[in-house]
Amino acid sequence: MLVPMAKVRILGHRSALDAALAHLYALGTVQLVDVADQAPDLGLPPLGLDGPRLRELERLRLLRARVDGLLDLLPPAAAASPRGAPAATGAPAPPPPFDGAAVAEELERLAPRVEAHTLALDALAAEAETLPRQVEALKKLLPLAGDLPDLEGSEVAALLVERRQARVLPALREALEARVGRAVEVVSAPLDADTVGALLVFPKARAGEVYPLLGREQVSRVRLPARFEGLSFRRAVAEMERRLEALPVLQATEREALEDLLRPRARWVAIRAACDARIAQLEAARRFGGTSSTFVAVGWVPAAAVPALRRGLVERHPVDVEVVPPTPGEEAPVLLRNRPAVRPFQRLVELLSSPRDGGLDPSAWMAAFMPLFFGMMLGDVAYGLLLLAVAVAVGRRGRGSPLARDVAGVLRPCALWAIAWGVLYGELLGDLGHRLGWLHAVWFNREEALEPLLLLSVAVGGAHVVLGLLLGAWTAGRRRRWRELGKRLALLVALGGAAALLVGAAAELPAGLGPAAGAALVVGLVTLVVLEGALGVLLGPLELLGALGHVLSYLRIAAIGLASVYLARVANELLFAGPLWAGLVVAALLHALNLVLGAFSPTIQSLRLHYVEFFREFYEDGGIPFRPFGRAGAVDAAGPGDDAPWTPPSSPSAPASR
Amino acid sequence: MDTSLIALSAGLAVGIPALATGYAQARIGSAGMGALAEKPELAGRVILLVAIPETLVILGFAVAAMIILLLGGG
Repeated sequence: MLVPMAKVRILGHRSALDAALAHLYALGTVQLVDVADQAPDLGLPPLGLDGPRLRELERLRLLRARVDGLLDLLPPAAAASPRGAPAATGAPAPPPPFDGAAVAEELERLAPRVEAHTLALDALAAEAETLPRQVEALKKLLPLAGDLPDLEGSEVAALLVERRQARVLPALREALEARVGRAVEVVSAPLDADTVGALLVFPKARAGEVYPLLGREQVSRVRLPARFEGLSFRRAVAEMERRLEALPVLQATEREALEDLLRPRARWVAIRAACDARIAQLEAARRFGGTSSTFVAVGWVPAAAVPALRRGLVERHPVDVEVVPPTPGEEAPVLLRNRPAVRPFQRLVELLSSPRDGGLDPSAWMAAFMPLFFGMMLGDVAYGLLLLAVAVAVGRRGRGSPLARDVAGVLRPCALWAIAWGVLYGELLGDLGHRLGWLHAVWFNREEALEPLLLLSVAVGGAHVVLGLLLGAWTAGRRRRWRELGKRLALLVALGGAAALLVGAAAELPAGLGPAAGAALVVGLVTLVVLEGALGVLLGPLELLGALGHVLSYLRIAAIGLASVYLARVANELLFAGPLWAGLVVAALLHALNLVLGAFSPTIQSLRLHYVEFFREFYEDGGIPFRPFGRAGAVDAAGPGDDAPWTPPSSPSAPASR
Repeated sequence: MDTSLIALSAGLAVGIPALATGYAQARIGSAGMGALAEKPELAGRVILLVAIPETLVILGFAVAAMIILLLGGG
C-alpha cells in the first residue's frame, strides 16, 4: 500500500542550519525538493553555501578521496557474521561529528610513511615479476659457467643470441680482443633449438669499453638487477635464487607494516562515512532557500514521521516545521509498504514502475493471483515439491540478502499452489503418478479434458479482467474522473453481456436472459461510444474487442500447462521404452528440463498477464519513487565486519574544521 | 485422412503464429537488450514488451484447440 505522505516546510534561523541538516540526515525520512524550482510561491532565492562552508566542502571531498586511497591499501573486511546467521537489522547509528582538521593532520603525518611502504611494496612486486624470468634465463647459462673460475676483478656478462646469428660470437670475440686485449674470454653453447647462450668474461676495469661495444653491435644481454652487479656469475645466480625465495616474506612483512600503520580499517570506514554525511548535508543545503538570517527547506515525509521530525528540530533549535498543502498539480513521491508476505511481489511491481501518487498499489493483488496462475500452469505435485525445496534453500542460504529473500518469498507460494493444482489435476511428474496408481485427478485430468481446461482458463481470465475493471472504476471514482469511471462501468456491462451471449451460444440460457444479455451489450457499447468522444464509433468497439482479447489471452494458462504435461508424458514414455537404467537417465534429464522450463515460463507468463491484461485496467504508473535524504543512502556499506564504533584519532586535539 | 488433416490444421494453426511470434520477439528482444545496456531500470518494461507478441501464438493455440474440439470430436 502507498504510505500517506505529507509536504513539510522547515523554517529556521540561519544559525540552526547545520543542526537542522544533521538532524534531517540522521532521520533519513525527508525527501528534499529544490525550493527555488519546486516552491516558487515562496519567492526565495537559493540559499547557496557561504565561503567557509564551500571551503569545508572542498576539504571534505579531498579528505574523502585520501581516505578512499588508504582503504584501497587495506585488505577488505572479513565477514563477521557466521554463516546462516541473520544480518543485523536496522540502519547503523549515525556517525558522530568528527574533527576534519585533526584527521587531515593525521593523514599528513602518515602520508610519508604510507608512501614509503607503498613504494617498497611496488618495488617488491616489480621484482617478483621480473626476477623469475631473469633467474630462469641465467640458470640456463650456469652449465657454461662451470669451467670458469671466479676471478677477482673480473666481470661476467650473459648473452643470448639466436642460433641463426651465432656466427656473430667469433666476430664479437675478435672485436673485444682488439679493444681489450687477450684478457677476455667468450664461452658459448646451444641452450635450445633457437638460442645460443654465451658468457663473456672481461676485466671489471674495462667494463666501460665492453658494454658500449655490445650496445653498438646490438647484442642482447641478460641484465642483472643492480644489487647483484659486481658479483661473480655463479654467486649472482645463487643470490638471485635466494632473493626470489625471500620475496614473498619481504612482501608480507612490508604489507603487515603498512596495515599496522593504518589499522583498524573500521576507523577509516567510519571517517569516510562521517565525510559522506557532512558532504551530503552541505550539498543538500543548496536545495534550501533563504535570506541572510533564515533558511527554508521544503520536502516530503511520511505523514507518520512528522512528529519525530518536529521533536528533533522544534524542541531544540529555533526551527519551525509546518505541514503545507501541495501545490496544484504537484505529486507526492511514492513509498510502498506492505506486509512481509506481500513485500516480494512489491519488488515485481516496482520492476515495472512505481504507481502514481493517489493510485493503487497492486502488490497485494499480485501476491494473491500470480502464485495461483503459476500453480495452474505448472500443476504438478513433484515439481511443486522440488520448487518448494529450492525456495526454502534459497531463503536460508540467502539470509541477509533482500533479493534472495524476495525470490524465496515469491517461489514459496508459487510452489504451494503448484502442489495444490497438481493434486487437482492428478499429476505427479506428469502422468507417472497415474501410471503407477499413486495419484488420480481430484478435479479433472488436463491431458484428457481439454475443453474444461480452456473454459477454466477463460473463466479465470474473465474474472481477473473484471476485477481489474472494478479496481479501475474505483480508482477513477476516487479521483473524481467521472468519464473514466463511466467507461469502466460501460465496459463491464458490455463485457458481461458479451460473455452471457457466448455462453448462450454454447448452452441454453434461462428464458429472458438472452435478450437481457443483448441489451447489456448494446447499452455498454453505446455508452462507450458516447464517452470516447469524437472517435467513439471506432474506439468504443475497439475497446470492447480489446477487453475480449485480454480475456482470451488467459488461454496461455492452458497452453503453457499442456506443454508441460506433454513434455512430462514424453519423459515417462521414454522411461519405459528401453532398458530401465537408460530410461531413468533420459527421463530424469527431460523432467529436469521440464522443471526448469516450468519454473521460468509460468513466472514470465504470470507476470505478463498482470503487467498487460490486469494492470492495464487500473494501474497508473510513472510515480516518483521516494528517495529520502539521509544516512540510509549516504553511509557507505563497507562490509559486515566494519561496524566498530568510530573513535577519535589519538593525536592532540586540533582546532575545529570550521 | 480426416484425422490427419485435422492434426495438420491444428499444427499449422499453432506453428505459423509461433513463427511470427518468434520473429517479433527476436526483434523486440535485441532492441530491448540494447536499451537495457543503457538503462537497466527498464528491465520490467522490456520483459513486458518481449512478452506481448505471445498473444499471437496463444490465439493460434485457441484456434488449434477449436479445430481439435469441434472437428476432431474432442
